[in-house]
Amino acid sequence: MTTIRRFCCNDLLRFSSVNLDHLTETFNMSFYMTYLARWPDYFHVAQGPGNQIMGYIMGKVEGQGESWHGHVTAVTVAPEYRRQQLAKKLMNLLENVSDNIDKAYFVDLFVRASNAPAIKMYEKLGYVIYRRVLRYYSGEEDGLDMRKALSRDVEKKSIIPLKRPITPDELEYD
Amino acid sequence: MASKFGLAGGIPERKVRPIWDAIDSRQFKNALKHVTTLLAKYPNSPYVLALKALVLERMGKPEEAFSISLNAKDNLFVNDALSIDDLTLSTLQIVFQRIDRLDLATECYEHACGKFPNKMELMMGLFNCYVREYSFVKQQQTAIKMYKLAGEEKYLLWAVCSIQLQVLCGNGGDKLLVLAEGLLKKHAAAHSLHEPEAVMVYISILEQQAKFGDALEILSGKLGSLMMIEVDKLRMQGRLLAQAGDYTAAADIFQKILELCPDDWDCFLHYLGCLLEDGSIWSDEAVNDPVHPPKFISCKVSHLTDEQFDSRISIASAFIRKLQTDAFDNSIRCPYLAIIEIERRKHLRGKGNDDNLMDGIVQYFCRFGHLACFTSNVEMFFEVFTTDKKAELLEKLMTSNNRLSTPPTKTLGLSISLFKIKQQLLLGDMFKSSASDVEVSCVQMFEMYCKNLSLSKDFDPQESMHGEELLSITCNILVQLFWRTKNVGYLVEAIMVLEFGLSIRRYVPQYKILLLHLYCHFGALSVAHEWYKSLDIKNILMESMLHHILPQMLSSPLWAELNSLLKDYLKFMDDHFRESADLTYLAYHHKNYSKIVEFVQFKDRLQHSSQYLVARVETPILQLKQNADNIEEEEGILQRMKCGTDFLELSNEVGSKSLTLNEDLETRPWWTPTLEKNYLLGPFEGISYCPREILTKERETSLKRGIEKKSLLPRMIYLSIQSASSSIKEHVEVNGSVTPDITLELKILLERFAQFLGFSLGEAIEVVKGFSNGERSVVSDSNLIDWLNFTVFLNAWNLSSHELVHPDRNERKPIIWNILDSLLEKYILEKIRTTEPQLCSPWSDIQLLMQLVTEPLAWHGLVIQSCLRSCLPSNKKKKKSGSVYQSSSNLAHAITDSVQQLSLVLEDVIKWISEWNRRSEDENMEGILFLLRKDGHDDGPGRVFHILETFISSMNNAEVGDRIYHSLKSWSPADVARKIVRGKLKVLIEFSAICESKLKLLQSLKQKVAQL
Repeated sequence: MTTIRRFCCNDLLRFSSVNLDHLTETFNMSFYMTYLARWPDYFHVAQGPGNQIMGYIMGKVEGQGESWHGHVTAVTVAPEYRRQQLAKKLMNLLENVSDNIDKAYFVDLFVRASNAPAIKMYEKLGYVIYRRVLRYYSGEEDGLDMRKALSRDVEKKSIIPLKRPITPDELEYD
Repeated sequence: MASKFGLAGGIPERKVRPIWDAIDSRQFKNALKHVTTLLAKYPNSPYVLALKALVLERMGKPEEAFSISLNAKDNLFVNDALSIDDLTLSTLQIVFQRIDRLDLATECYEHACGKFPNKMELMMGLFNCYVREYSFVKQQQTAIKMYKLAGEEKYLLWAVCSIQLQVLCGNGGDKLLVLAEGLLKKHAAAHSLHEPEAVMVYISILEQQAKFGDALEILSGKLGSLMMIEVDKLRMQGRLLAQAGDYTAAADIFQKILELCPDDWDCFLHYLGCLLEDGSIWSDEAVNDPVHPPKFISCKVSHLTDEQFDSRISIASAFIRKLQTDAFDNSIRCPYLAIIEIERRKHLRGKGNDDNLMDGIVQYFCRFGHLACFTSNVEMFFEVFTTDKKAELLEKLMTSNNRLSTPPTKTLGLSISLFKIKQQLLLGDMFKSSASDVEVSCVQMFEMYCKNLSLSKDFDPQESMHGEELLSITCNILVQLFWRTKNVGYLVEAIMVLEFGLSIRRYVPQYKILLLHLYCHFGALSVAHEWYKSLDIKNILMESMLHHILPQMLSSPLWAELNSLLKDYLKFMDDHFRESADLTYLAYHHKNYSKIVEFVQFKDRLQHSSQYLVARVETPILQLKQNADNIEEEEGILQRMKCGTDFLELSNEVGSKSLTLNEDLETRPWWTPTLEKNYLLGPFEGISYCPREILTKERETSLKRGIEKKSLLPRMIYLSIQSASSSIKEHVEVNGSVTPDITLELKILLERFAQFLGFSLGEAIEVVKGFSNGERSVVSDSNLIDWLNFTVFLNAWNLSSHELVHPDRNERKPIIWNILDSLLEKYILEKIRTTEPQLCSPWSDIQLLMQLVTEPLAWHGLVIQSCLRSCLPSNKKKKKSGSVYQSSSNLAHAITDSVQQLSLVLEDVIKWISEWNRRSEDENMEGILFLLRKDGHDDGPGRVFHILETFISSMNNAEVGDRIYHSLKSWSPADVARKIVRGKLKVLIEFSAICESKLKLLQSLKQKVAQL
């Protein structure tokens, strides 16, 4: 049971139950505020009855030409509200914004290669593993770049998997 | 500009490039070398000077950087126009910003804009300067000029936002909004608007003036079509219609949203509110604190006639039933919860039927009772029922639970929900039950946890397991049993249960928070601090979560740990204040206008944070505590904090400020719902539900008083030291100028301090004098430290003042001094005599003991050091002239007596601590485990622990999986007991070291007195 609305600064003081989760990073202020200042439509929060924060998604849109794409920087749901398809709702929202408002070609995200449950979830949502990024996480663990093509990429060119893994310095965007 | 002139300050780019490259790669020495070479050729170039200042600042030489940048600024003002370019200005701006002189950067840009009034780049720089300085009026004026010059929508919106800031965050009156509206209207008529964010700001300007009709017109017109997210647009429309009082149209809109998003609970509330013509939800939204929104929906008793009410309710019911039938997926809960809310509204109207309401809840339970959020979804409806009805409902829920046939994970979820309802929602019921009944359900829950571990045996260790909540509930009940019985074994048992849970999966923040508070209560603060660290609380989480540990650390002797907590937190906050304006400028730049006010308001909110102010005051106090045994170092610290004057200013201002409370109190355990409350310290009593929001106002007032009082301390300590030294020399001259009247100022502050104790100065002095006759009825644990601090400062004042009690020249010690020494002795010894050196004794007394030594005794020590220093013949500053004391010999006697008395007290404390240490760790550990051994007794703690031990010894890996099996096999309760022992001892050992250092000081003073 969810009201999904734009994330605002005050939510930063209310999201502790979500961010105490060890897999959810608490970034510095300029990181959150840069996303809010630049891509407010890509930063949404889900709120339940009693006004609790259930989870949120933050992302951005960037790229040139056919690489113009939406990017999911973080999506997270508090343990109490898991297994209710909330992440799916939040992802759909970001995909819709990328597709309909910004006319992007695809949406992508990075996930730890070891995070099997998350990879499975993204696959269920229609994402495919586009490429592997070697030692993406703190120079230790590989990351997987997963993508989902949007309506503008009629031929689904953006998601044809790369044959070889790449290194982080080969990435086009941070 | 640089490109226009071709060169920055007339210097070819290739010559400057190596400097920037070196700065970018942090090779500052190299950068300085390049810059020095270039400076030889262009000694007066503001740009090269600015570069040099930048490099110096980055090298950590702010003073030199400041002087060079001033030089650059001067040259910029005298040189011809050629040297004014954006690159020079922006480089200077960076330096000035880094050394906190934004005003100088602004002056440079103002000068440049005066020289070149039509250059957009320079004006943009100037606008940016005003944004950094929060000069909203000047921002507006600059933006208007830019708008006039370029005619762009962006600059108009910059001006409009600057106006909005004046109204919402500055001193501007509401009338300014008319101006903003006029500007937008004119522009929109001529050129329309092109950015959805511009439309949002336009609508918000109209909404703030209650011009809802005009706002609706904009939204439904051509401009409204810029809003691309349909649901957002509808929400806005519904809100405006409701505020305009057009409830029928508003209800239609919310109905539309619900058809699109049937799970949107907020929207349902708005829908129902509009149908019942109840606008309270809108007015409350404006009043409520956005960080602590109420859990419960407020609603008015409807003014509708009975017929109208019935018909609206049936419309709502029919629509919600339709949503239920149309729902395409089983996870949609809103329509089912909505039915209950509709019943609740009927109840409020006096047309309720308890059975219907219960049925709604039972149905919701059958559908969604297995979800972890079930209880929090329905808890608001329980308030409607009487105690009897609550019991009936519980009965109904249990019956339906027995009838449900579900897979094991759902069955477990349903049972947890039932337990939670019993424990949390029927609080009264739980507290009324007998201790043994409570213990039975506690045992059941723990057994259920163990039994269901197998459901998660194949889970990734990162994934939450089924039934994790059961251990939190078990712990909560064990703590309640402790409260009832005061048998500390229950606390140990609660600790064991949670440590057991964390050995199975080490990522459960709820367990860690509970443990942290349990260890604090137990006095094992260092272990509590370890668990706090394991929560990885950083950045903004510190603002909402630091409260879990900070108050306990403030009164502890773990100074290094406290120091790093305070330092990290203040650094985070101050960094944010420094960069916040730049991020606001980013929102201007990217045309996300609605974020501008939000960012500024958020910065204000953090700046007024009560926790931030507490940390600002406590940081210097900690420094003063740490260095109190060396008066020279202490004076150095006081000098660096401007002798406490800044904090005095804070104390003067804080009363008129409104403070924000940003702590997330929802994460706190039940027994300590706020930082100031701990039920476990008092006698057992049932707790009734007390909405946290009610406490907010009370907390704000008491926090303000606390900060006001605490921030007097640095100045009072400073003045006390000064006053004590002038007990020998009446007029102290420092650097040839007579110091302001210390005695008078100290008296004024004593007056203020006395007010915090609830007395006038005269009355407070009488109270202190009364102490000598044993009259201490006004003193309690909560004000003991304040009274003693007051007496310390009073004594210091009395040493230089002729006003109060003239020292009897035949007496060895002034009367207040005598009283103070006796008080310190009495209270310190009382604490150690009443606290047995046993590991399970109550900790709050020891906390107070540590405060007595590290605060009043430490400040008194400084006064003594100051007196002694002024008596010593080697003191060159000493100039006797008509002293209060005829000779220093009386004072020397006073010092000798005091030192002697306090030394004995400290020796006793040290001896008392060593008693704690006497038993071996194994013995202590056994002592703790003994609390949990049943040895044939049926009552008392240990039942859950027994199950725990039996489970570990009898489990097999096929059942619980290899991972859980191995982690539990390597886990030992004895290790936990040892951890408790070590944690507690660590705190005591730190305290002992503090006492020893003070004792050493007193001994050295004794020797010095002997020299007199």
